Amino acid sequence: MFRYLPFVLKNSWRNRRRTTLTIVSISVSLCLLGVLMAIYYAFYFTDATPSQALRLVVRNKISLAVPMPEYYRDKIRQIPGVRDVAVSQWFGGVYKDRRDPKNFFARFAVEPERIIAVRGEMKMPEDQKQAFIHERTACMVGKALAEKQNFHLGDRITLQGDIFAVNLELTVRAIYDAPENNEVLYFNLEYLDQAMGSKRWGQIGTFYVLADSPDSVPRIAKAIDDSYRNSPVQTKTESERQFQLGFLSFLGNVKMILLSICAAVTFTIMLVSANTIAMSVRERVREVGVLKTLGFTRGTILSLILGEAVAIATIGGAVGVLLASGLCGFVRNGPAFSDDIRHLSIQPPVALACLAVAAVIGLISAFIPAWNASRTSIVEALRSTE
Amino acid sequence: MTDNVVIQTSSLTKEFLRDEFHVVALKGVDIEIHKGEFVALMGPSGSGKSTLLHLIAAMDVATGGNIRVLGQDLRALNDRQIARWRNENIGFVFQSFNLIPVLTALENVELPLKLTNLKKQERLDHANTALKLVGLGDRTGHFPRQLSGGQEQRVAIARAIVTDPALILADEPTGNLDAGSAQDILSLLSQLNKEHGKTIVMVTHDPHAARFASKVRYLEKGELLAEGAVPAD
Ligand SMILES: Nc1ncnc2c1ncn2[C@@H]1O[C@H](COP(=O)(O)OP(=O)(O)OP(=O)(O)O)[C@@H](O)[C@H]1O
Ligand SMILES: [Mg+2]
Repeated sequence: MFRYLPFVLKNSWRNRRRTTLTIVSISVSLCLLGVLMAIYYAFYFTDATPSQALRLVVRNKISLAVPMPEYYRDKIRQIPGVRDVAVSQWFGGVYKDRRDPKNFFARFAVEPERIIAVRGEMKMPEDQKQAFIHERTACMVGKALAEKQNFHLGDRITLQGDIFAVNLELTVRAIYDAPENNEVLYFNLEYLDQAMGSKRWGQIGTFYVLADSPDSVPRIAKAIDDSYRNSPVQTKTESERQFQLGFLSFLGNVKMILLSICAAVTFTIMLVSANTIAMSVRERVREVGVLKTLGFTRGTILSLILGEAVAIATIGGAVGVLLASGLCGFVRNGPAFSDDIRHLSIQPPVALACLAVAAVIGLISAFIPAWNASRTSIVEALRSTE
Repeated sequence: MTDNVVIQTSSLTKEFLRDEFHVVALKGVDIEIHKGEFVALMGPSGSGKSTLLHLIAAMDVATGGNIRVLGQDLRALNDRQIARWRNENIGFVFQSFNLIPVLTALENVELPLKLTNLKKQERLDHANTALKLVGLGDRTGHFPRQLSGGQEQRVAIARAIVTDPALILADEPTGNLDAGSAQDILSLLSQLNKEHGKTIVMVTHDPHAARFASKVRYLEKGELLAEGAVPAD
């Protein structure tokens, strides 16, 4: 088949303008497809980091937005394999100006010692750690967040409450560095309780559970949920990785949305490509007759035309992948709501998948015109004057 | 049937069914063409000349009758076998040259050899030889649009002979050419016939062209006139 490759390439470059336009439209669509696939890949195909693999997140079975009794912690701590438990309360609130998406970052009320224990991968100087633990209005911010917001040790941060009707005056006392969740602000739960003048009716948003080994994570999850199966407030326990993906579903059925955009994009290029191929084949019916006269079989002609379509589409796909990796750079630097997005890039499997999709698009879109052309009788084809 | 019969048809019939129209293009044609002959096929427009040529080249299938070409019963072959048979045994020359525009003269001539087992270098050697034979050894890198009509037709002839077929079929090869170029093409065909022993069947409207042939046969309304007979008018 390789001996026909030069012929195939020459044919595909026959109408330069049309081929260029086809390559451009395929590459633009595949760029979009590539980014979507990269996001999908980042969400659903990336393994948990070693520290994540040890953690579970417990929440109310009804929804992440509904709290559960804080005293559950005591029972959870008794479960074999559980090393530590940290409570964590989503604060929400507004920093400076809510209209600027840059000002949106995660804020959690926590017990400082516990969260530092459970998130062992957070690195910070000992004196900062102690300051955060001991000062009631202290807060601890991730390094990436500090860089973005230009936070320094000693800075004052005012958070206006919305879920909780209090304003908090925090002081940056610690800056931690961690491979994930590096754009979070933690502050002392005691300060929240004091400011509220109540104890949140004994309710808490989530528990972070540290397991003794990744292998015990599924068992612990089951054990926790089983203990509250017959209680009025049931729990849902997931690995931290699962939990993060679940958090995404707050935005809607992300998987479904991604897949349907991908499908729509693919279908559209398929139509564009089919139209172009059909046009270029129609112009060449006579040549098909000539090739057959020279002794080319139907099968060879079919593969010549399909090869041409696949070549054009794959070149478009390759350009699309390059564009997509450029676009991923933009996405990485934009406001991110997930660690996965912050590390977004076109991984080799995604690049390969893009090229494969492009090739298949070429194949499918060319199949009907190629099949028809290869089946046209010689005499019929030679009579064609187009 | 003797060994040197190249084409033999009996009661060869071809009908076309087009929507409501029913055209009988060939009515019971019996023709025998021998090895080394150069036959000119003449007749008015629509008399079935091209149709007969297409049946001989197995480019189309007869409606009735029998046809043997180079000892092969064409009805006994399947599609793949016919394609291969045509590649090896038939060189076809069209009125409108029909070169592939994106390929150079050399690549056009090489094209039929891509279907053979020859190595790249052998293919190019053969193609160069064929181009030299038609007097275009210096135009190998030219594209069809850079050649004159006469030169294009010579490339087409080179393409037709590159696989060294026993039979050359030409459908009005000079129909699109000026007198001078036509003369070159006819001389070339004559040379292929005399020096290389190719059997040639050439459809033509031009009595002058027919004079290059060793024999002229006439078709009229799908019927072949007896050998030696000429149309009444
Ligand atoms: N594919 C086809 N479908 C329908 N009718 C056809 C087809 N090919 C040929 N015919 C008809 O068959 C008859 C013979 O056609 P053919 O092309 O063999 O004539 P010809 O002698 O070559 O004419 P010309 O000198 O104009 O080339 C004509 O009436 C033509 O209309
Ligand atoms: Mg004709």
